[in-house]
Amino acid sequence: MKLRIPKALAVGAVAAAMLATTGCGGILGGGGDKTADSGPIKIAAVIPMSGSSAPTGVYMKNGMQMAVDEINAKGGVLGRQLSLDLEDGACDPTQAAAAANKAVSNGAVISVGGYCSGATLPTLPIFAKANIPMIIPAANSQELVNQKLPNVFMINGTGSQQAAAAVKFMAKDGVKSVALVDDNTSYSKDIATETKKDLQADGTVKVALATSVTAGESDYSSAVHDIMGANPDMLYWTGYYQEGGLIINQLKAAGYKGKIMVADGSVDPSLVKIAGAANAEGVFATMTQTPDTIKGAETWIANYTKAFGSAPGPYSTQSYDAVRVAAEAMTQAKGTGGDAVIKALAGIDGFQIFSGPLKFTPEHTLSSGGFQILVVQGGKFILKDALA
Amino acid sequence: MTQLIWNGLFVGSFYALIALGYSMVYGIIKLLNFAHGDIYMLGAFVGFAMLTSVGVIPASMSITALLIVLLLCMIVTGGIGVGIEYLAYRPLRNSPRLAVLITAVGASFTLEYGVSAVAGPNPKVFPVRLEGDSFTVLGARISVPQLVLMVIAVVLMWGLNSYIQRTSMGRAMRAIALDTKGALLMGINVNKVITWTFFIGSALAGAAGVMAGAYYGKIDFLMGFIIGLKAFTAAVIGGIGNIKGAMLGGLLLGLLEAFGSQWLGGQWRDVFTFGVLIAFLTLKPTGLLGERVTERV
Repeated sequence: MKLRIPKALAVGAVAAAMLATTGCGGILGGGGDKTADSGPIKIAAVIPMSGSSAPTGVYMKNGMQMAVDEINAKGGVLGRQLSLDLEDGACDPTQAAAAANKAVSNGAVISVGGYCSGATLPTLPIFAKANIPMIIPAANSQELVNQKLPNVFMINGTGSQQAAAAVKFMAKDGVKSVALVDDNTSYSKDIATETKKDLQADGTVKVALATSVTAGESDYSSAVHDIMGANPDMLYWTGYYQEGGLIINQLKAAGYKGKIMVADGSVDPSLVKIAGAANAEGVFATMTQTPDTIKGAETWIANYTKAFGSAPGPYSTQSYDAVRVAAEAMTQAKGTGGDAVIKALAGIDGFQIFSGPLKFTPEHTLSSGGFQILVVQGGKFILKDALA
Repeated sequence: MTQLIWNGLFVGSFYALIALGYSMVYGIIKLLNFAHGDIYMLGAFVGFAMLTSVGVIPASMSITALLIVLLLCMIVTGGIGVGIEYLAYRPLRNSPRLAVLITAVGASFTLEYGVSAVAGPNPKVFPVRLEGDSFTVLGARISVPQLVLMVIAVVLMWGLNSYIQRTSMGRAMRAIALDTKGALLMGINVNKVITWTFFIGSALAGAAGVMAGAYYGKIDFLMGFIIGLKAFTAAVIGGIGNIKGAMLGGLLLGLLEAFGSQWLGGQWRDVFTFGVLIAFLTLKPTGLLGERVTERV
């Protein structure tokens, strides 16, 4: 009993002190910031660092780190340094939600993460509730747009923009029938559904088959059998590269002669390795700009390679840009308060990022998806058609 | 039709090889060894490490090299299986069943993320890939590598079956499966037999891992998860604890998947397969060849 009174007193005193300081901060800061106005600005990123999407997480992490280092070297934002708070979402909705909650309680003021659409979706309301702006570098399912949250901005083209690019190329390439195969994840299903819708509305290209496979397996002989039976001019695979590589390999082994196109989740050097160089030759891909296809990115690639000891991969550039856009918005907003930064983001006009000058649509997506067609040649993805 | 049957049998033989380990371990110590699928993954990674350390292997030697690596991998993964049993399961042998089950789940995660930490999370491309001509039999396209792998799988399963039926160690295994205490009283060294069981089961899973690596070409640290679940399913279909049942269950599961995908479309394949499984087990809970165990009071 004796100990309790001083303890309660102490707690009371600390609470009072805290109230006093936050009160002061509020008055002095004037921006109504909930977070401290000194010390580094915390930027959260929920990206996959374990699980099957972990390789892409590394590309994203490095891209973000590079932008943070560059900005910090130039004196940071608003005179404060940036600090990256990376949380592992593991491409899993439950883990990603927990990671987002952790980031919020760590005092993040802006989020630049989001790779797997299925895992990014549950993080949206968490950041929205804390009024933290989100700049999503990679996740691009239409579902994310459909939430209509004011704090969510996407700097990767959306699923429907990708589907539109795919359909455009199919018609251009003289393809008469298409097989659509997805892996049952939100991202993949989204592109497949949108493509199917577009194709049926257009009417010139027939959908010969629309089917799904289970991700994480090795044997896709049943899908291969279905595709061979449907005998399409082109297969459009909308899932990720691990399964994509296997499907291409097994299709070619079964004697498939038609064309193959993959979506952006499959654009990775590993796709070629898994499929076998000879099998992957001539495979098309719908993809936003990658370091390899951007003119004038050579210096950037060299810097990245020097800093991290390996070449950049998919979403390195978008992640790099997400941090830069975040910094730009905070600079324009002259603070880190959620409302001001969201307003600044919506007002950005002409800020140069890899995909061109940035201006968000009213839906907070890129005004043009910037999707282009790549083709595998000599074991590498190179630009085939910019679809301009 | 014949193509579907062939596809189903081919995938099914992988399921069967892994299902054997599940079934043997369950038959003997009533443990669902959830780390078993990860032994398959380890087999693939051990094979990968061996083949890369050798360097470039000429194409003409690839089958021979692969067979040697297969044997070595079986010994290594068998040893790892024994190690897991010794460290993780043996101390808990007389604990409640749930504790051991959770330990098995723990062992599974330890292996997965241990490999991820050591070898990196990126998928690896197997240095040797079985490639060969294919020919058509009754409308089914069959490739030489598929045939080679099927032959290896059949030889392994046949070898296991005769080992269990003909040798004294096999007899001891069957005796322990029937009645552990009785076997102990009859002078059977129970620990030694359990160790052997883990060795054989893990060696078979490791062999399947190397074969999958060489055939499909891609390995990653989570590759054992889904196939582990499927193999477990196969073991249950066949009647868990029954060796022939596990083989039969594996092949049946492969066929169910092939036909489910054909009849209902890829989206519905797993729904169909596992729907059949549920229906089957409600009608025959002991599985195809399982026997109803009467509780001794």
